[in-house]
Amino acid sequence: MSLNVDFKLKAPENTPVWVDESKCKSCDICVDVCPTGVLTMRLDPHNILGQMVQVAHPEYCIGCRECELQCPDFAIFVAERDEYKFKKLNEVKKLKGEA
Amino acid sequence: MAFNYDYYLRTDKMPTLWCWGCGDGVILKAMIRAFAKLGWDKNDICVVSGIGCSGRFSSYLDCNTVHTTHGRTVAYATGIKLAHPEKHVVVVAGDGDGLAIGGNHTIHGCRRNIDLNFVLVNNFIYGLTNSQVSPTTPQGYWAVTQQYGNIDPTFDPAELAKGAGATFIGRESVAEAQKLERLFVKGFEHKGFSFFDIHSNCHVNFGRKNKLGTAKANLDWIEGNLMAKAKWDKMSSEEQHEARKSGKFPRGILWHVEEPEYCDLYDTVIEKAGGKK
Repeated sequence: MSLNVDFKLKAPENTPVWVDESKCKSCDICVDVCPTGVLTMRLDPHNILGQMVQVAHPEYCIGCRECELQCPDFAIFVAERDEYKFKKLNEVKKLKGEA
Repeated sequence: MAFNYDYYLRTDKMPTLWCWGCGDGVILKAMIRAFAKLGWDKNDICVVSGIGCSGRFSSYLDCNTVHTTHGRTVAYATGIKLAHPEKHVVVVAGDGDGLAIGGNHTIHGCRRNIDLNFVLVNNFIYGLTNSQVSPTTPQGYWAVTQQYGNIDPTFDPAELAKGAGATFIGRESVAEAQKLERLFVKGFEHKGFSFFDIHSNCHVNFGRKNKLGTAKANLDWIEGNLMAKAKWDKMSSEEQHEARKSGKFPRGILWHVEEPEYCDLYDTVIEKAGGKK
């Protein structure tokens, strides 16, 4: 059986995480599950609940895909390993000045 | 190159009508990834859903779909499976749909061991109709029809399915999407009645008055109620009974046996009666 479909979405250049803002309902789950704090919420009076997710620190992303898996609204996507060079967890800690 | 869900979706129906952070979306995504992993073509899948928030599954999946009457999902799906034994039939029902009004059909689907995949979206409340008490609402929790705390005992759907004769029983929560996907892959592959008890969050209608008002708070509460099957098996039967009464459940594949499947048995009936030559 062949699934003659293009199963992949292209990542924008040099971007680990990107958000489809037309689908996001700002439920805050992705911000909660992200282990390194890549995502934050910003105020957006035009959206439901008055806020919208934004990629505040793309340099912290370790590519764990938790946000993509836990998003109920098909709104957030993470690049593949061959598209973006993700940081290791200890590198992120150094960047944040925790290590 | 992120995973593209659009092949299995009716994209003109997006964004979904579910509330922000609803667990149904996570289950839908996990189901789609499981379909893709198994290589099922969308024309070979039939999704049957009943009434409730879980009823929207048949609207969003671009497979052959039936949006049936309240609680009769397994009855419709049994007919579809017997007419097309080579197709994959997935039944999606909520806890009220599959256990309260449709409880009888669920029991007999399990008993026949027909090759259906029964996904029970268990969010502990009648979410669509605003917080009436459902069979799985934990004891002591608020609902519109139990204003002073629910007095009905806590209910374990997996034990019901096991007693009725389902041959694959799994339980997982929406807070662990990857485990959920793996459970779906194993269960969909199984030939026989696969029963999935998926604990989902309804922070809007269940959590609001139970101090679980945000999606994350409700997901944490669900995760706190589940324990690994290995840990559960080490407990004595009295301890298991006590844990079940307080709303704690094991997770993972709880029951997996191979039994004769109903469509195969029905073929022998056709053969004996002289049909299908």
